[in-house]
Amino acid sequence: MLNKLTAIIRKDTALRFEGRSELLFFLILPLIFTFLIGGGLPAAGGGGDNRLLVPVADEDGSPRSAALLAALADGDVVRPEAMSRAEAEALLADEDAAAALIIPAGFGAALSADGLAAGQEAAVTLLVSPTSNVAPAIEGEVNRAVSALARPLLVARNATEGVAAVRPFADETARAAFFAAALAAAEAEAAPPARVVTEVAAGGNAYDQRAQASAGQLITWVFIPLLGASGLFVYERLMGTLRRLLTTPTRKSTFLLGAIGSQYLAALAQMAILVLFGVLVMRVPWGRDPVALIVVLATFGLAGVALGTALGTFVKTEGQASNLSIMLGMAMALLGGAWWPMELFPAGLQQIVRVLPTTWAMSALTDITMRGQGVADILPEAGVLLAFAAAFFLVGLWRFRYE
Amino acid sequence: MTPPILTAKDLRKKFGDFEAVKGISFSVLRGEIFSLLGPNGAGKTTTINMLSCLLPPTSGTAEIAGHAIPGDTLAVRRAIGVVPQEIALYDSLSARQNLEFWGRLYDMRGQELTQRIDEVLDQVGLADRAKDKVKTFSGGMKRRINIAAGLLHKPQLLFMDEPTVGIDPQSRRRILDMVRELRDGGMTVLYTTHYMEEAEELSDRVGIIDQGRLIALGTQAELTRVVGEQETLRLHLAEEAGVALAGVNGTAGAPATMSADGSVALFSGLPGVLRASAVDHQIVVNVADAGAALPAVVGRANTAGLHVRSVDIEQPNLEAVFLHLTGRGLRD
Repeated sequence: MLNKLTAIIRKDTALRFEGRSELLFFLILPLIFTFLIGGGLPAAGGGGDNRLLVPVADEDGSPRSAALLAALADGDVVRPEAMSRAEAEALLADEDAAAALIIPAGFGAALSADGLAAGQEAAVTLLVSPTSNVAPAIEGEVNRAVSALARPLLVARNATEGVAAVRPFADETARAAFFAAALAAAEAEAAPPARVVTEVAAGGNAYDQRAQASAGQLITWVFIPLLGASGLFVYERLMGTLRRLLTTPTRKSTFLLGAIGSQYLAALAQMAILVLFGVLVMRVPWGRDPVALIVVLATFGLAGVALGTALGTFVKTEGQASNLSIMLGMAMALLGGAWWPMELFPAGLQQIVRVLPTTWAMSALTDITMRGQGVADILPEAGVLLAFAAAFFLVGLWRFRYE
Repeated sequence: MTPPILTAKDLRKKFGDFEAVKGISFSVLRGEIFSLLGPNGAGKTTTINMLSCLLPPTSGTAEIAGHAIPGDTLAVRRAIGVVPQEIALYDSLSARQNLEFWGRLYDMRGQELTQRIDEVLDQVGLADRAKDKVKTFSGGMKRRINIAAGLLHKPQLLFMDEPTVGIDPQSRRRILDMVRELRDGGMTVLYTTHYMEEAEELSDRVGIIDQGRLIALGTQAELTRVVGEQETLRLHLAEEAGVALAGVNGTAGAPATMSADGSVALFSGLPGVLRASAVDHQIVVNVADAGAALPAVVGRANTAGLHVRSVDIEQPNLEAVFLHLTGRGLRD
């Protein structure tokens, strides 16, 4: 039996990799996509800075507006770039930026001692793109920077007004001197009243685009050819080789095991290469728990090839098999969270997509890479994947026709 | 007497309401070429499929090399080799890769397999193309590799299902020679064909099959005896026989009509004429003595207005047997 299994696996492998185009889909494109989507290339003009670009038109040009820019640049979220209002608006219109900040002339004056005393309002304008979902994050970051700038000024103003109410200043010079001293003191104490310490739960890492891309692209590029196993059965039927094969002293189960095994082994090899690429090139922490990783990849592969086997019983031609595997594979990878984090999906959809094996595989892989979980933690996902595999295999075997 | 390697008893196969094989019984003797001759759709391939355990018989049994059908599926498959009607090869693999794959499915491996592949490649005359992909081969070359794949494990009984369909005369000749060589080497061959000439040339014995029934079985001499000593006059017409007959006038005793089974009445009553049938662009007239009947037959055709382009005189053959038994030609 082993001799026959080996023969079937060798034959299927030779057939699959007969053309160079297969290497493109098996290896080259998955590596390129993983690299690009994982942030392998530096952001345009950012010199490796992946923070969100926010064009800033500083029409004020005052020390206060410069301080606001510095406060923005000090954060982890946005990367302010000074330019003219026209340039900023053009970037926004072209959807090259999610928001643009306009600091109007008079901003600094409104925040001066005189301006504050006169009750002038200091305002900035944040232009946001209607199509961007990161604009709220930028708005929050601008509010943080404005607050950081305004807080000492407000403290100094309130202090100056409080003192003047008890004992009026001798003149404006004395008032200005007090305000300056109060501002300096407030700025020195500018630390926020409560410190926010961000920690990643359960020993995991912070969200990592490289890990997301590495896992997501692995699922996408491995899942599609596994579904393509359906085409193999169609090919054998149409070529008449399946009938011939069944005139040899070979059991049907041996044929099925060999045909499925060849696809499964190829998937395991592909996954191993993508994981190695993730570890060595993308620095993705795949190796935190190798046993957990092997369990997830093995069960995911089984679910995929089982679905391919089941699909093979529904399609009539190789063209149908190819189209269906690409369409289903892409859709299931997308909805399974392989392309974007599942948290970005509407809550209802997040529940619905639990019927997909890709959802469970992606969840298990991110458990390992981002949440730092081990084999005991991913067992539920692995169990669900095995259940998917069993169900799909049952459908496939029930419907499989050798004629 | 040579013992049979295959014995089929009342084999039947139904597909829904359609009965493709209606109770076939025959034996194939060791070391002979046994042909199943019949038109397309006669049930030849279904019979082969049952005997190679691809299809379970609806009823009936068979025994091959001492192994029962149904029952000893794997043992039967070990004893037989199958050359299917379609070219069942992997186009993208080389000839050697194909043979290596099929050989392994017969539990061959290592040096034994390599050596045997060299032998069969030599046997089919494609040793110099061993490394070429099958998709670069001509139709005839593919047929030969298709045969080679069935020979690898030196089967006791080789099923060849219409192995010359759709190939050039040169390749056909090569394959027919190869079949004889296999028999001469001790292999038993069950050969199906709808080409009467192939069955005549190759077979030690012939089974004539039509509409799922085995209607005659024996050596060629035994079968032609069925139609007696009669000979055949084959009148080649300019148009399809039915159309030609519709456009001419017969006589009261011999109307220019063609019945549903192809019988032609135009030559009735002529001395020595036994029967006549329309086949494609021909009218086939069975006569006791071709030389004596020829003038009268051609005369009747001319009188009626049939445009006879040429006339062939044939000795008794399997075509005549088939015609005699069914009233139709093999290629109907």
